[in-house]
Amino acid sequence: MLIRNSDATPGFQHSLSSSPHTIFKEIILIFIALSVFTLAGLAAAVAQPRLVGLGDIRSGGLLLNSKTPGKYVEAPRLQTDINVKITGLISRTVITQRFENPSSGWVEGIYVFPMPEDAAVDTLKMQIGDRFIEGLIKERKEAKRIYEEAKAQGKKASLIEQERPNMFTNSIANIGPGEIVIVQIEYQETVAQNKGVFSLRVPLVAAPRYLPDPVVLSVKFDSDTGLGQVGVSDPVADRSRITPPIARADENVKNPVSLSVMLDAGFPFSNLVSASHKIAVKTKSDTSAIIALAKGEVPANKDLTFSWQAAPGQAPTAALFREKVGDDDFLLAIVTPPRPAIDSTVTAVKIPREIIFVIDNSGSMAGPSIRQARQALLRALDRLKIDDRFNIIRFDDTMEELFPQTVAGDKENLNTAKRFVRNLTADGGTEMLAALKASLIDTSPTDTSSLRQVVFLTDGAIGNETQLFEEIVKNRGRSRIFTVGIGSAPNSFFMTRAAEYGRGTFTHIGSVKAVAKGMTELFEKLENPIMTDLAASWEGTGATDVSPETLPDLYAGEPVVIAAKMKKNGGALVLSGNLAGQPWLINLPLDKAASGEGIGKLWARRKIREYEGQRYISEDWKKLDGLILKTALAHHLVSRLTSLVAVDLTPTRAQGDKLASRKLPLELPQGWNFNKVFGETTPLLQKASLQQNDPARTARFAQLLSSKSGRNKAAKSRSKGIALPAGATLADRKIIMGLLILFLAFSGLLVTFFWRHLSRSYTRTKISRPSYDH
Amino acid sequence: MTTKNKSLIQRLQQTSIPQRLVAVILIATAITGFSLVGQGLYIKAKAVLAQVLLERAWSRALAGEDAAKAWPWADTWPVAKISLPRIKQKAIVLNNASGEAMAFGPGLVAGTPLPGRPGTSVISGHRDTHFEFLRNVRQGDTIEVMTRTDKRITYKVDYMEVVDASASGIEPNAPGEKLALVTCWPFDDKNPGPLRYVVYASPYKIASGQPVIKPGLISFAR
Repeated sequence: MLIRNSDATPGFQHSLSSSPHTIFKEIILIFIALSVFTLAGLAAAVAQPRLVGLGDIRSGGLLLNSKTPGKYVEAPRLQTDINVKITGLISRTVITQRFENPSSGWVEGIYVFPMPEDAAVDTLKMQIGDRFIEGLIKERKEAKRIYEEAKAQGKKASLIEQERPNMFTNSIANIGPGEIVIVQIEYQETVAQNKGVFSLRVPLVAAPRYLPDPVVLSVKFDSDTGLGQVGVSDPVADRSRITPPIARADENVKNPVSLSVMLDAGFPFSNLVSASHKIAVKTKSDTSAIIALAKGEVPANKDLTFSWQAAPGQAPTAALFREKVGDDDFLLAIVTPPRPAIDSTVTAVKIPREIIFVIDNSGSMAGPSIRQARQALLRALDRLKIDDRFNIIRFDDTMEELFPQTVAGDKENLNTAKRFVRNLTADGGTEMLAALKASLIDTSPTDTSSLRQVVFLTDGAIGNETQLFEEIVKNRGRSRIFTVGIGSAPNSFFMTRAAEYGRGTFTHIGSVKAVAKGMTELFEKLENPIMTDLAASWEGTGATDVSPETLPDLYAGEPVVIAAKMKKNGGALVLSGNLAGQPWLINLPLDKAASGEGIGKLWARRKIREYEGQRYISEDWKKLDGLILKTALAHHLVSRLTSLVAVDLTPTRAQGDKLASRKLPLELPQGWNFNKVFGETTPLLQKASLQQNDPARTARFAQLLSSKSGRNKAAKSRSKGIALPAGATLADRKIIMGLLILFLAFSGLLVTFFWRHLSRSYTRTKISRPSYDH
Repeated sequence: MTTKNKSLIQRLQQTSIPQRLVAVILIATAITGFSLVGQGLYIKAKAVLAQVLLERAWSRALAGEDAAKAWPWADTWPVAKISLPRIKQKAIVLNNASGEAMAFGPGLVAGTPLPGRPGTSVISGHRDTHFEFLRNVRQGDTIEVMTRTDKRITYKVDYMEVVDASASGIEPNAPGEKLALVTCWPFDDKNPGPLRYVVYASPYKIASGQPVIKPGLISFAR
């Protein structure tokens, strides 16, 4: 068949075989074409429109589809403005950004933006050309359907989706040529508070997820996303280490940010500083100030952080906010207990401790994990003091207690312990329950004069989480459980949750290098608990759905944050605890609560996080998803299951209309504060129209932009993602090497055999001795 | 007594020192070669045998046994079974993807949900044993996954991609109930490397049977 076919096309054959000249020419042509393409590519790379993948995006930006699938052209950003209003301990941020569609075609854009993880994103407003659209909250699938439908009909539409808890995308359909798009997003969060320092972070850089969050928010008690971020660190100390460098130094894609912060601290403050940027502070009174950037505008290449301190003795000890949403009342309480080191009313008492170390030496810990665990435990032993009592339990599918009961941390005992730890090897199954039970056996459960701490070092490769949680809740008594996650990907869900139920903390140690820092951090906590046995009781009020469910211990300078849904007004919240060995009690009359905006939303965001965390252990995740959906819809929040969608109902013009000379709108609707936000709108617009009239630039964009713009896959942000394990054994290599070596041995054998044979026959002929081989 | 009947040692004693040395080197080389081949074959045999034992453990797991181990000292247990009808391949998936577990079967990477749960489930296997078949997987192939809740999920392969192990871009909490099968890449490379081959699939049919584990939220006293 094939032969006959080629016979039937002799012309083709001829051109291929009998004219090498033509081929040569073709090659030259191809070569020239390739060089031109390369040069064009270079020019494009040098010139402003540049192809990017979603993974290249490190800050909020508008992406336009290009001809290369999966690649985008980043729309030049004109201006970002951030308006933060801090009232007491609640902050509301309005981020407004103007974009331009510089191409001569209609496009769909994707706007990727980073968010603080516990921020409640509730509002989207958008101006596309002269249209104003406000987003509505819908179930994710429904929202997507509405958006796709509107897009197909040529209507302007936008869709905000949560890609990850800290990364959102906004898709914008049918942006006309040369049009300016303004996106405004609002979110609310609580101000972070640590060791008397109040701080706020405005993320402008979408950092890879595995990076530790530099600002430790007290509200992360219910951190259920499996991130090891519950550690306490100074919010500004190691900022430069944490802030990732910006990969893109593209001068043309300037991303200027202006900023204004209205700080109404509610208490006299001092030391208002930014660790990330130079700021100009205009003090209004001793409790309020206006902050702007010293340079006016800065590039959006790092997160903005601010911190302020309460004047001595002026720090708030308690803050209460409430909000009525529909029939429900929501309450947010932030209480900071006094600090022994600073407040002379409380004297620091050194409390004797009893520490039980539990180390997992099962097979899953084999390799670097067990080395990390051993090293962490050795370091922990080094920190013990002579009046501390301790014991070590190791477990795989068997279990062993080093000492029959806790012993004093003297030299002899420590040496025995160190020897025991050094000799640990990883093998066998993971039977954690028996070890957990043993570690919770308390010989003096009512002794309040000493602390009982259980430190668990494991990768948490277990399947009976529920059972273990039950054991903790049932038998924790006065013991505190601190989990130390070992290895690159420990079961951090189990660890965070176990620590939460055990009223301790979770520390993640990912590498041998991280051991020192992680253990020091942990030990600072183990040695300095400020408030223990913290409990909340509600008087004369029906508080339901309190978050967090179990109140943690508090460490130096941490506040406790409680959010609750209330049935009726009035009553009181009574917080009691053990402050440095002495009973402590505070009564907060709830009718004194200040009315705060968005308290319900903050409550809802926390609740959603809690539900998200339970998904992993509950078989009934559909019910949890139902709860998440209900909460998010009721509070107008973007979540994993809900999206904000906005569709412009006004008929838009048919695609393909020439809009090159269209005037850009200047007017703004009532209640929108773009005018305030953009004091100088005119220069921006002039700049925009100038750029629009640059034909070369428009042409370049036209080249890069897909002809089928508007057809867009769902934004899939390429983050660092999860680390993947090795996917190959050494079997083949071993077999091949083995065979090679065998071949060597065999050829060696052959050589010697022939050598001997030859030399023998040589000797035989020489001496004429009878042969051996008869 | 002829030399022919003499033992090897006696013959060695007769030979000169350099000759002995050559003989020893040859024997040592041969032993090394055999042991390497043996080790390699052992890894392969272990991988095959383990799957047979795991298959039995899996039927016990389906019968309701929690953490059904294939052998008493195992540190891992089956959580799912995957099969690819077109290329007639199947494997029992283990609860973790540690090096130890992956010698016996592909494992569910820690921090990713079980198949059928929201998020992206990542199952990793060795390219030269259990996941050797990944190279034959094509776009549009169906992957059937059975989990312990007796749920059968049919996935369709969306696309394949080569990624760097440390920057896979796979988000375990991403929306949807997706599946990613991962193995080392390039397939014929004999040395471990940083690249991974990922097969992405989305569910298109879920048949739910009688759940084995009792559903219900665990609740704790405040």
